[in-house]
Amino acid sequence: MIELRQVSLTYNHNYLFRGLDFTINSGAKILLNAASGTGKTSFFRLLLGFIQPIEGEVLYDGIKLSAETVKQIRRKIGYLSQDIDMPWGKVGEVVNQIFCYRYNKSLHADHQKLFELIDFLELGKDVLEKNVEELSGGERQRLLLIILLLLDREVYLLDEPTSALDENLKMKVRDLFLSHSATVLVISHDKVWIDSKNLTVLNWTENAGWKDGQ
Amino acid sequence: MGSKDLSMVSLALTLVLLLIPLLFNYFLGLGIGKKSLIAVLRMCVQLFLIGYFLGYIFDLNNSWLNFLWLFVMIIVSTISIVNSCSLKFKVFLWPILISVALPVILMCLYFNRFIVRLDNIFDAKYLIAIGGMILGNMLSGNIVGLNHFFNNVRKMEKKYLAVLALGADRKEALLPHVRESILAAVNPTIASTATIGLVSLPGMMTGQILGGASPVVAVKYQMAIMIAIFITRILSIYIALYLTQQTAFDAYDVLRKEIFKDK
Repeated sequence: MIELRQVSLTYNHNYLFRGLDFTINSGAKILLNAASGTGKTSFFRLLLGFIQPIEGEVLYDGIKLSAETVKQIRRKIGYLSQDIDMPWGKVGEVVNQIFCYRYNKSLHADHQKLFELIDFLELGKDVLEKNVEELSGGERQRLLLIILLLLDREVYLLDEPTSALDENLKMKVRDLFLSHSATVLVISHDKVWIDSKNLTVLNWTENAGWKDGQ
Repeated sequence: MGSKDLSMVSLALTLVLLLIPLLFNYFLGLGIGKKSLIAVLRMCVQLFLIGYFLGYIFDLNNSWLNFLWLFVMIIVSTISIVNSCSLKFKVFLWPILISVALPVILMCLYFNRFIVRLDNIFDAKYLIAIGGMILGNMLSGNIVGLNHFFNNVRKMEKKYLAVLALGADRKEALLPHVRESILAAVNPTIASTATIGLVSLPGMMTGQILGGASPVVAVKYQMAIMIAIFITRILSIYIALYLTQQTAFDAYDVLRKEIFKDK
């Protein structure tokens, strides 16, 4: 469960939002709907503790996001940024490296699931031999989504996760995450997400911040 | 023994050579006329002053004074490193001072005690000359390495944060940048070590030969100093990166923007 209590965020001394107050239940599937430039990406960065609110607090399962808890909280989150930022290098090695990171040591890389997902998202087995920097945007998007699923996080923050995929793959990715038990927050302008019946749409309103749209 | 002194006439004859770059400047419109004349003037004044001053220090050869002078050189190097980086002076003065002082002092003592086997390891000639050579090299290594590191982390901040979100701790997420900037700092030294003697006759060797030492002795010293330079360069950039990281990131492991001179 993610709670926001009277959270205000500024960028260059202008308010992006003010007094944001709402709760996201565990397992909720939410689409953030707003025009560009309204701070959706900043909202994700706030939830990750990359930027700090000027007032208010964010709580994960009752634990306040702070300098002391941020590392523990980040371990619960799987984050896909709009530019699909991830380590560079040979895909197979990058996957191994990620599972060797300090906060992932307790996880084990499920190779069978890795191959299943590679197959399901039509990446081709040889993808592990390629370099991340040579992959197309759509390939990188699918690769990082697969890694995030293998990391088995409690919360997924996905910033435009299907922007570079074709219709068929968009639906596959959507269904993977909508059927997942985790809390999923999506920023997307893709119809596959907007039209889905299983997502709660939060609409951005100028003064009140995010509002339940349905 | 010793090299032939240069008379004032000789020095004047060197200055005449400056006409060549000035002609280039005039015909190609390089716009470096004033700048290069000021640079040459500064060099002359600084070197004359330091020449007399060092003469004085060498004559006295007081261990405390020698060490104090080494420390002055350390501070000047530190200031020059911080000023050449895009980083705020106040935040980085201490980390960089330590990263410069520690390797050069330890290396000078080791060099004088175990390599040259001096009776007085604070002997002016050795302490100041060896220290100066090491410092000069460290200076360029640290400037290249630190600029490389902070510019890259800043430029690729989103990727760094994404790696943190993937479960890395700060050290793991910064490791590729640390590697790259250490390489940027030591690669030129490795290259010059590999080509020394074939491409360039280094300053120290030239100086010793002109000073009357046999080329074989000069070569031995040169070998020792090259290794000392390599080691202090890698040590110094590593300590500098380690210590500056402690202040450059906040409690959330996010790069603090206020450490940069330009926002």
